[in-house]
Amino acid sequence: MTARPHLRLLAAFLAGLALVSCAPHPPAGATGDAQWFGSLTPPRENMLRFNNGVEPETIDPSVMSGQGDGRIARMLFEGLTSNDPHTLTPIPGQAYRWESSADGLDYTFHLRAGLQWTDGAPLTARDFVYAWRRVLAPATASRSASMLYPIAGAEDYNKGVTTDSSTVGVHAPDDTTLVVHLAQPTSYFLFLTTFYTYMPVQQQCIERWGNTWTAPAHMVSNGPFSLRSHTQAEKIVAARNPLYWDVKHVALDGVIAYAVDDLNTSTNMYKAGMIDWNPSGYIPAPFIPSLRHYRDYQTGEFQSTYFYSINVTRKPYNDPRVRRALNLAVDRVAITRDLLKGTRRAWGRITPDGYPGYVPPAQLVFDPVRARAELAAAGFPGGKGFPKLKITFNTSEDHRRIAEAIQAMWKRELGIDVELQNMEWASYLQTTTALQYDVARRSWIGDYLDPMTFLGMLRTGDGNNRTGWSDAIYDALLRRADHEVNAATRMDLLRQAEARALEQGVFIPIYHYTTHELVKPYVHGIYHTALDIHMLTRVSIDPEWRQHVPIAAGSR
Amino acid sequence: MITFLTRRLLLILPTLWVIGTVTFFLMRLAPGGPFQSEREIPKAAKEQLARMYGLDQPLGVQYGRFLYNAARGDFGPSYKYPQRQVRDLIGEGFKVSAELGGWALLLATLLGVPIGILAAVKQNQAADAAAMGLALAGVSVPNFVLGPVLVLVFSLGLYWLPPALWTGPASRVLPVITLATAYVAYIARLTRAGMLEVLRADFIRTARAKGLSERVVVLKHALKLGILPVVSYLGPAAARIIMGSIVVEQIFAVPGLGRQLVNGAFNRDYTLVMGVVLFYAAFLMLLNLLVDIAYTQLDPRVELR
Amino acid sequence: MSIGLSPPVTVVQPVALRPSRSLWSDAWRRLRRNRAAVIAGLFLVVMCTIAALAPWLPLVQDPALQNLRLGATPPSLLHGFGTDDLGRDTFARVMYGGRISMLVGLIGTFVSLVIGVSWGAVAGYFGGKIDEAMMRFVDVLYSLPYIFLVILLLVFFERSLLMLFVALGLVQWLTMARIVRGQVMSLKGQTFVEAARALGASDAAIIFRHLVPNTLGPVIVYTTLTVPAVILQEAFLSFLGLGVQPPDASWGTLVSDGARVLAIFPWLVVFPGLALSLTLLAFNFLGDGLRDALDPQDRRDVA
Repeated sequence: MTARPHLRLLAAFLAGLALVSCAPHPPAGATGDAQWFGSLTPPRENMLRFNNGVEPETIDPSVMSGQGDGRIARMLFEGLTSNDPHTLTPIPGQAYRWESSADGLDYTFHLRAGLQWTDGAPLTARDFVYAWRRVLAPATASRSASMLYPIAGAEDYNKGVTTDSSTVGVHAPDDTTLVVHLAQPTSYFLFLTTFYTYMPVQQQCIERWGNTWTAPAHMVSNGPFSLRSHTQAEKIVAARNPLYWDVKHVALDGVIAYAVDDLNTSTNMYKAGMIDWNPSGYIPAPFIPSLRHYRDYQTGEFQSTYFYSINVTRKPYNDPRVRRALNLAVDRVAITRDLLKGTRRAWGRITPDGYPGYVPPAQLVFDPVRARAELAAAGFPGGKGFPKLKITFNTSEDHRRIAEAIQAMWKRELGIDVELQNMEWASYLQTTTALQYDVARRSWIGDYLDPMTFLGMLRTGDGNNRTGWSDAIYDALLRRADHEVNAATRMDLLRQAEARALEQGVFIPIYHYTTHELVKPYVHGIYHTALDIHMLTRVSIDPEWRQHVPIAAGSR
Repeated sequence: MITFLTRRLLLILPTLWVIGTVTFFLMRLAPGGPFQSEREIPKAAKEQLARMYGLDQPLGVQYGRFLYNAARGDFGPSYKYPQRQVRDLIGEGFKVSAELGGWALLLATLLGVPIGILAAVKQNQAADAAAMGLALAGVSVPNFVLGPVLVLVFSLGLYWLPPALWTGPASRVLPVITLATAYVAYIARLTRAGMLEVLRADFIRTARAKGLSERVVVLKHALKLGILPVVSYLGPAAARIIMGSIVVEQIFAVPGLGRQLVNGAFNRDYTLVMGVVLFYAAFLMLLNLLVDIAYTQLDPRVELR
Repeated sequence: MSIGLSPPVTVVQPVALRPSRSLWSDAWRRLRRNRAAVIAGLFLVVMCTIAALAPWLPLVQDPALQNLRLGATPPSLLHGFGTDDLGRDTFARVMYGGRISMLVGLIGTFVSLVIGVSWGAVAGYFGGKIDEAMMRFVDVLYSLPYIFLVILLLVFFERSLLMLFVALGLVQWLTMARIVRGQVMSLKGQTFVEAARALGASDAAIIFRHLVPNTLGPVIVYTTLTVPAVILQEAFLSFLGLGVQPPDASWGTLVSDGARVLAIFPWLVVFPGLALSLTLLAFNFLGDGLRDALDPQDRRDVA
């Protein structure tokens, strides 16, 4: 009697599983449409649909921080410079040319003539002065104000040392000229001007609407697209901005950015053809190995590293030998090759790969023998007497399995008992900031193409330090690098600093990020970049793609 | 009737006050705050944000201000999304959750009541066990399994229905089915119990003795009273399903109220959480009141006091 | 899911009978005639035994033993239920997961039972202002979104298995309190209570020695139905990342982790999923059977 419903349930389950086999699987030697993952029907409208992930905290470029927020800013706004869609090199944006002084302290930007806001008002150099001062004004509470610190007087004004905004080194002698004076030569300053924190915002709009100026009915912007609608936790819709200076090269009628935070859901939507682009970070890690044989999968280096940080204010982690032992007992290769199936690169350094002119120090490697020796030297032979170690991480499937692997490694190699502490996001941030942990999972994304974007984090008292580590030698090296005008010497100082931090074992580097994204074959112009930034200005959708893509036979 | 209504409505207010107070202090005591991020926010900016939201004031002042504003139904802007008013966020989320929950309860009732009737009529026979087994299977499969299975088959295998979002009628199908499944068993169980009791009653025996067909007896006479437990279940269930759809909202990326509450609690979005909790409590109590009133209409034996 | 499932309590019909020996033997006879409930009961006995004895059973490997090189593999002779992406044996993880799920279900239910029965009995017995205040408190908790309470509890206190029991139990006791209160209110006017009082029994003795035992029928039925509800709720919390901490795993965490890789490693959801669903099904069948058996009147106080 009872068996019947059971059997029916089982049968339904098995039927589902039979269909599973037509779900993601490497189409070895597949031909026709099977070379691509899922639906190949282009959108009915000439609008690019993608998943922007977690609902943006704000779409005010002056205040925001975060990747998803930035993607929206780059659609709606444009700074003095823009990014080359492949290399991210600064290219002319609202400014068509610029020059810098020989000492690297002064920049002069020349704006294009006839620039307009979406409401038709002229956009002038004064708008930049307003926007930058607004970023720095303490009342704005910008999350990214420190991005402007290379500008003379910026840090003092932001930190309230002075209340006079005219002390900030940015001025507009006329409508189309912007003069910037820096505090010290900053090799990557031009790159910073592509960043959302440097984008202009309209004073009139902000003063009229206050907090709600970013609402679709109010917002005035200057980028390739303008905001049409915004539904919380659902989507942001933007349409081509006819007043954009380069509108003739904007191929899309608009963009729809969904706010789907679940990775599985995002990938499902891609497969079902509801989105045309599934950006990096929104494919569940276990799926990547079976997706990488599809033609719509694209991957590349991402300047971001995944590491564990050690709280050096706690015993016995104040002993560098203990920290080195933990470091040396992590088998990064086993994690990346076996557990992550080669979807990430094993990494034994703090800074990621690929900073122009930077010759990095040697990577840390897995050396269980030395690890045991270091631990014994610290007074814990074979892990005897070592207190229970706790790994703190924020709730995530991916963090959990890496923590479980490392838990087993430290037990096996060092005889240390490890407990896992999985916390929801806000508690995790509180715990790591307040130094209430032993070892915590962390990661960092570079803001610009220079090792300083990583190494600055470990300075004494830096807000992102979160290890309690304070080292006179390290601080001195960074200070010297700050004031060094010679690029090669500066890079060498940074190398020494990184070597010092590695030797002291404050961070336990684990892997180097790679981007994994899915782009439908009918979408052109979405390229992999080192900072996972995508310029949508010239992206296009080709409904006739089958005629243009080789070997596209058959149809669904 | 009028005294009953006044009494019940007057009881709702102090209950809401207690709930508001408890929630207020619990949220403030939770570790972490709303203005934290992985990338450290400068101290000056944090202080400024705290000032903007009055978080630099003593807790007592903050509480007083909260009470004053809450009494007027104003919770201010969300901490996490400062350009949005909590009231608007709740309005948007509620509309979606109410629709999702409404369809799901309707579907569950349409399936659960017939199953319950069948099981009651065939009590202790094979059909009883089979019908109840089917209903119970629904509550025994967690919906975070059922949802992905349905998506895998109908969205990714057959390409019939969209796997996510809340746009257009087709997108409603899978979330509603997933959510309804768990409720079928409860409704079937209540219907069965209600019907069993009624079917033994004297007036049913009389009806049978009069030679009325079994179908008429069951559907016309017994059902009216036998369904009462379901009615009293549907009231609170209608309120609870608003929050009960968290998993479904997550899996299908439905922008509903449940997801707002969970994310709000995780983000320490104080104002949003306060708003949702109070709104939910008021809604639940009002629905319970409605059920009690509906009960008197359906069952003359019950009197309001 | 689970939030909507708190069973409603409708008007509780007073039952005036003291369960006698014959009532229990009648109930037992009726239960035995219900084949679905008997099968369910036997199934649960087997599952509980396996769960309790998992560490000592042959063929059950070390559930924490990793083999990163092996990774996730489908069922094979060596690993009957396959392995997960850390190369751990799924069969062993399901067996040990059962221990935790059963423990969570039973202890969570026990917590709700102790609090709910005491609370309801005291409120019902004393009545008046005390009853009003106590039940108002229940109403307040009832109107709070359950998930909000659990998140806060798990955020405030160090996450541990114990905290999980408490969190789950704390939410479940409300309905139990209402059921017991209704029963006690209808029983307290009975002669056997008057008799006990005349003999000088204290209030506590009357409540716990005389009244509570007489509410046993509905309490047993509701308890049986609470166990699967608690197990399911733990699974739901696992989905939100608030379940038991790794490397421990319950069926809930196994199933919610498995559901995310359903399309590529289906065995990771099928086996723990079957274990979980069949157990929940069995508890529900047994609970329904018990209600039919214990209460031929089919009172509708328990959904």
